[in-house]
Amino acid sequence: MIRVYRALITQSIQVLSAYRVSLFLYALFSFIRPIIFLAAWVAVAESQGGRLGSFSRADLGGYFAIAILVTHLTAAWDFFEFEWEVRRGSLSPKLLRPLHPINYSIVNNGLWKLMTSVAVVPVAVAVAITFDARFAATPAHLALGTVSVVLAAGLTFTFGWVFASAVFWTTRVHAIVTLYQRTAFIFSGQVAPLLLLPAPLLVAALILPFGYMLGVPTEILRGGVDVTTALLMIGGQVVWLAIGIVLYRVVWNAGLRQYSAVGA
Amino acid sequence: MTRYLGLLRLFVRTELQFALEYRVNLLLEIMQMIVVAGTSVAAVLILFSYTTVMNGWTLPQMIVLLGVYYVVQGAEELVMQPSFQKFMEGVRDGTLDFILLKPVSSQFMVSFRHFQTVQVVQVLMGLGVTVFGLSQLATVVTLGAALAFALTLACGFVLIYALLLALSTLAFWFVKVDNILAIFWAFIDAGRFPIDIYPGWLRLTMSTVIPIGIAVTVPAKAVAGQVDAQTMALIAGATLLAWLFSRWFWKRGLRAYTGASA
Amino acid sequence: MSDAVIEVSGLTKVYRVHERQEGLGATVRSLFRRTFKDIPAVTDASFRIAAGEVVGFLGPNGAGKTTTLKMLSGLLYPTAGEARVVGHVPWKREGDFLRQITLLMGNRTQLVWDIAAADSLRVLQEIYRISEERYRATLGELTDLLDLGPLLHKPVRNLSLGERMKVEFAAGLVHSPRVAFLDEPTLGLDVSMQARIRRFVAEHNRRAGTTILLTSHYMDDVVALCRRVIVIHHGRLLYDGELGELAQRMAPYKVITVALRESAPSAFLDELGTVVSRDVASVRLQVPREHAPERTARIVRDLGAALADISVEDPPIEEVIDRVFAGERMPEAATA
Repeated sequence: MIRVYRALITQSIQVLSAYRVSLFLYALFSFIRPIIFLAAWVAVAESQGGRLGSFSRADLGGYFAIAILVTHLTAAWDFFEFEWEVRRGSLSPKLLRPLHPINYSIVNNGLWKLMTSVAVVPVAVAVAITFDARFAATPAHLALGTVSVVLAAGLTFTFGWVFASAVFWTTRVHAIVTLYQRTAFIFSGQVAPLLLLPAPLLVAALILPFGYMLGVPTEILRGGVDVTTALLMIGGQVVWLAIGIVLYRVVWNAGLRQYSAVGA
Repeated sequence: MTRYLGLLRLFVRTELQFALEYRVNLLLEIMQMIVVAGTSVAAVLILFSYTTVMNGWTLPQMIVLLGVYYVVQGAEELVMQPSFQKFMEGVRDGTLDFILLKPVSSQFMVSFRHFQTVQVVQVLMGLGVTVFGLSQLATVVTLGAALAFALTLACGFVLIYALLLALSTLAFWFVKVDNILAIFWAFIDAGRFPIDIYPGWLRLTMSTVIPIGIAVTVPAKAVAGQVDAQTMALIAGATLLAWLFSRWFWKRGLRAYTGASA
Repeated sequence: MSDAVIEVSGLTKVYRVHERQEGLGATVRSLFRRTFKDIPAVTDASFRIAAGEVVGFLGPNGAGKTTTLKMLSGLLYPTAGEARVVGHVPWKREGDFLRQITLLMGNRTQLVWDIAAADSLRVLQEIYRISEERYRATLGELTDLLDLGPLLHKPVRNLSLGERMKVEFAAGLVHSPRVAFLDEPTLGLDVSMQARIRRFVAEHNRRAGTTILLTSHYMDDVVALCRRVIVIHHGRLLYDGELGELAQRMAPYKVITVALRESAPSAFLDELGTVVSRDVASVRLQVPREHAPERTARIVRDLGAALADISVEDPPIEEVIDRVFAGERMPEAATA
C-alpha cells in the first residue's frame, strides 16, 4: 500500500505542477471570505465600543486569522471533481482498477494543501498583524488544536464524498451541493465565530456536523475554550467522523450498484 | 441599432425556450437562488443582532445593499458570464471564426450571444430585496435619489462589463484564461458588504481593479440620497474611460487573433 | 478580366511563432528575451477564379490550404500580396463582403449545440437580413436538396455526424452567398453520406451558380466535383489547371493488371512495361500511355489460355498527387 501511495503521490505532484497557476488561484478562496467577514464583525464590534460578548477586536482578528488556515486545511472539492469525472467518463476506468478512487482524492487533496500553504500562511499572518490578533492558546490548546484540525479535514473530506456520491443517482448535483455549502456557510463558523452565533443556531451547529468542520478547531487553536471543553468538542468530531465514514461506505456502495446497473 | 435589438430579442427568446424545456432544472436553480439569498440575509441578521449600525450602515440600508448586490450579480450571470465563457471556449476550439465571418459586430455577438435566462429571477429577487429594504428606511426616496440610483447602477453594469471584456480579451493571447476569471469570482463575494468596512488594500481593489465594490456600494448609497453630484460625475467619467479602454483592447486582441491564428 | 470572382496575387502569409523550449532555465530566459521563428505558410500564391467555377484545393496537411481559405474569407490578414473576393478586400471584413461569402469547416460547427438548428437559422436570418419570403424559399429548397426533413427541429447535439453536416450546409448557404469556401466538408462521414454531400454541392452549384473553392483529403470529392484543381505544397502553388491534364502530365502511363490462370511464365511481362507488383496469380505493370493498346493486345495474344483476366486503367489519382507532393518535377505539357 505504501508503494501505491508513493506512486500516486509522484503522479499527483506532476499533475499539480502542470497546473501551477490555477492551483494557487483556488487558494484565494481560502482567505477572501474570512477576511470579508472579519471586516464586517470588526465594524460591528466598533459600533459597540470594541467588544462583543467575550470577543474584543483583537479576538476577532485571532479567530478569523486562524479560520483562514483552517479553511485552507479543511478544503474539500470532491463534489465538483466527481461530477466532472462522471461527465467526462474518466470515472469508469478508475473503477475498473483494484484501487479505490478515494485514494487519488486523498493524495490530491493533501498535496494541494501542502503546496499552496506557502501562499496562504503569509496571508493569515498579515491579517493577524493588521488586526492585532490576540491568541489565548496554551501548548495544550495547540496540541489539541492540531488533532482537531486533522479531524475536521477528515470530516469535510468524508462528508464531501458522501454528497459527491449523489452524482450516481442524479445529474442535478448542483442543487444538492448548494444546499450543503450554504448550510455549512451558516453553521460551520464562516459567517460568525461559533460562540457569537445566536443560541439556537449555536446548538444546531454543534448537533450537526458542520460546527465541527471549521468553528471547533478554530476556537481550540485560538484558545477560546478551555481544555475540558476542547476535549468534549474533539469527542464530538470523532463521533461525527465515525458517522461520516459509515455513511460514506453505505452511500458509495449503493451508488456503485446504481451506476453499474444504469451503465457505467 | 434596431437590428441589434432584434438580435438581442432572438437570443433571449432562444435561450428562454431552451431553459423552459428543462423545467425541473429551472425550479432547482430558482430554489438555489432563494437558498443563497436567504442565507445571506441570515448572515446580515446575525451581524445585526449585536448592533443597529455597522460603520454608518443601518439594517435597512444593509438590506438595500444586499438587494443591489443580487441585482448586479444577477445581471452579470444573466448574460455576461455565459457569453464570455462561450467566447473563451470559442477561441480555444476555433468556433470564434464563425462569429468573425458574420456581418455583425463581433464584440456584440461575443458579449450577448448567450443568456442564462433563469438569472432574471435573481435580478428580480434583488430588486425585491432592495424595495423591501427601502420600505424599512426612515427616509423617503426622492426622485433625485431614484435617478442617481439608476445612473450609478448602470455605470456599475458597464464597469463590470468592461472588466469582463478586458479579461476575456486576454484569451486571444493566453488561451487558458479561466484562471483569471476565477480571481474575479473570488472577489465578487466581497461586494455583499459596503466596501468602506474593508481594510485599505481590499477597498482599493474592490473599487478599481475589480469594481464590484463600486457597482454595489455606490448605488446602495445613491438611493438613500448619500451620493453627491461630484462623485457621480467621477464615476460616470471612470465608466466612460473603462468602456473606451476595453473596446480598444478588444480591437487590439482581434487584430492579434487574425494575424496569428492557424 | 474583371469577371473573376476571386483574384489573388502574390499572397503570402508568414507566421511568427515564439520558440518554446523545454526546461526551467529556458523558460526563465524566455521571460526576458523571446526568440521567434518565422514559419512561412503560404508563399506568393496567385490565381483567379471565375464565377460559378468549382475549384479543388489539394495539398497534404500543413500545405497552406486552410491558411489560404482563411485569408480569402477575411479571417486572416496576409503578410504580403493582394486578393479580391467579389470585388472586396477580404480582411477588411466589410459587411457587404461578409454577406456574399460563406465558410464551412468540416471539423467545426457554427451551430449552437444545445438548441435546434432551426433556432440558429433564425438568428442567421436576422444577421444576414434575409426577408421572410426569401428565407422560406431558400430554406425550402435546401431542405429538399439535402433531405433535411425533421432534422432542423432536433437539438444539434442529438444529430449524427452526417445529419449535422447536412444541417451545417443549410446554415452555411441559407443566405445564398456568391462564394462558398468549403474546408474538408466530408471529413469523417461515411461513404454514402460523402456521396450525398457531393451530389448536393454539384446540384447547388448548378442551380445557384455559387463559386466554390473546396479543400479535401478525399480524392473522390475532388474528382467528383472539380474540373480544375490547384495543388499547393509547402505553401507554394505547384499546379493550377484541369485535373485530367494533371494526371496526364504527371503520370503518362496506364496500369495493366493481369490475372493469371495458373503459374504461367510471366517473365516476358517485364519487357512490356515496369512491373509494379507481382504475386503468384497476378501482375501489375505500368505501361506508357501511347503504347498501352498494343501491349495489351500482345499480352492477350501471348498468354492465351493462361490469362484469367486483364484490366487497363488510369493510374489512381492519389498516386498522381503523391508524385506531385513528393516533389517530382512537373513535366511540361505534352504536345497533343
